[in-house]
Amino acid sequence: MFEPVREFWLNLSLIFGAIFVSIVILAAVHASPPQFKRILTVIVVFIAGLYFPVEFYIPRHNFLTPYGDSVRNLVQVLAAFTFGLGVVNLVLIHGRHVLQRTTNFPFSLAFFAGFLIMTFVGFIQRYSPQFWVKKAEAGQISFWDGMHKLLFEGMLIPLTSTVFSLLAFFIVSAAYRAFRIRTLEAGLLMATAIIVMLANVPVGTWLTSWIPAEGWLKWFRLENAAIWLTTQINAPTQRAILFGLWVGAIGAALRIWLSLERTFTAGSR
Amino acid sequence: MQHADWSTLYPWLVWILTALIGMGIFMAYAGKRLHIRRLPAIDAIEEAVGRATEMGRPMLFVPGLAGIDVPSFQAVAISGHIAKLAAKYRTRILMPVTNTVIMTMAEQVLKESYAEGGAPEAFRSEDIRFLSDDQFAFASGVVGLMNRERVAANFFFGNFAAESLILAETGQTLGAIQIAGTPSTLQIPFFIAACDFTVIGEEYYAVTAYLTREPILLGSVWGQDICRIALAALIFATTVFHKLLPAPVLKFLGLE
Repeated sequence: MFEPVREFWLNLSLIFGAIFVSIVILAAVHASPPQFKRILTVIVVFIAGLYFPVEFYIPRHNFLTPYGDSVRNLVQVLAAFTFGLGVVNLVLIHGRHVLQRTTNFPFSLAFFAGFLIMTFVGFIQRYSPQFWVKKAEAGQISFWDGMHKLLFEGMLIPLTSTVFSLLAFFIVSAAYRAFRIRTLEAGLLMATAIIVMLANVPVGTWLTSWIPAEGWLKWFRLENAAIWLTTQINAPTQRAILFGLWVGAIGAALRIWLSLERTFTAGSR
Repeated sequence: MQHADWSTLYPWLVWILTALIGMGIFMAYAGKRLHIRRLPAIDAIEEAVGRATEMGRPMLFVPGLAGIDVPSFQAVAISGHIAKLAAKYRTRILMPVTNTVIMTMAEQVLKESYAEGGAPEAFRSEDIRFLSDDQFAFASGVVGLMNRERVAANFFFGNFAAESLILAETGQTLGAIQIAGTPSTLQIPFFIAACDFTVIGEEYYAVTAYLTREPILLGSVWGQDICRIALAALIFATTVFHKLLPAPVLKFLGLE
């Protein structure tokens, strides 16, 4: 809807002006009495919640459609204001650990080291790849690109994969507890799990390969039994849960939109 | 942008369901007494808070891989009610988050809940921690927090993915009492296996109504149940009478 401003100084002034106005508005809201905050929250939530359904349910391109991108950008801008708070939160918590030399303060030092190095390398690699180093020859990787690769692909991604791989061990311990046959339900779970697991390995299909592949007896072959279990038992159950969930989500959205869920209307109590 | 196609059932259905839920809210507002069935998982929340208090250890509330969406808002609302209980016993709640918007919201909600519970001084803003927006960095951060603080109770409410079992199994190893609820159907089995109590399906959105017993919230839950009955009847009827329905009706229902 809005064309980007091409003139540099005007653009800069608008950006700083917008930031200043936003900070003034936020400070004013923060300092306002609780009752005013409550009324403001109720009104803003109602209007914001009304935009998208009305725009969607009026058929075709309508008077609200051109504002769609601006409204979405507004949501992103509001979220961006809170991003700084996240960094402040991290720095405050870990800074306190370091200053007070708590038992776990080495972990906080690791946080600061990681945070500063990653931020520095990320910015340099993106915005000033020639900083303090010679330009890379053809076929060579530049220093900052290499550092970025080392830190992100050589450290961050393997660390993430390591945590993910823990899941394999946790699945075994959780499965052990879930499969202990103490009740009828646990017994059924165990039986279905065995059928589905065996059906997914060659030895499983071999075990029942002697059963005829046609006629009603075919359902006793493990691969067919597994298909029956997943498509006729598991899938409808999942769909039933999802039906319940989505209707619940409509109800919860309605409660939030109309500010009936009083938890969110700050200062209401 | 896409717009609703009013020649099919779907946009009508959303408004009909919304109207039914609205009717439930209106009936509750007008004074109709409504009943909600017992949810053992939610009854166990007070037990978990009590146990953490007896052990003198904090509790952990994880709102999942929170985004700005209805399940995350619901999770924050639930955390507010748990905080009110925690305030009664002066027990700490640690709340690690992945989203800074949710962090800001949770801070406000918990602060108010502690004040309402009669112990504003028990609220510590540093207990609400932004760890990381990366799934597994967040998971490892939460696991570390659980181990360092030796939490006595874990509450997992919100959207979860593969990290659900990592968190729940760590809590299980620590011997913490664990209550979970998630709209992510793929994670429900993991929580059932690793947690003491699990809220399943639509129960997730009924938790606040169950905890507060506020008539208007109960009315919305009643309305949702009517919607489910109506949807089930519609599915049953269209399945049984599929062959008898004329082509325009089938087209309207999206069955042709």
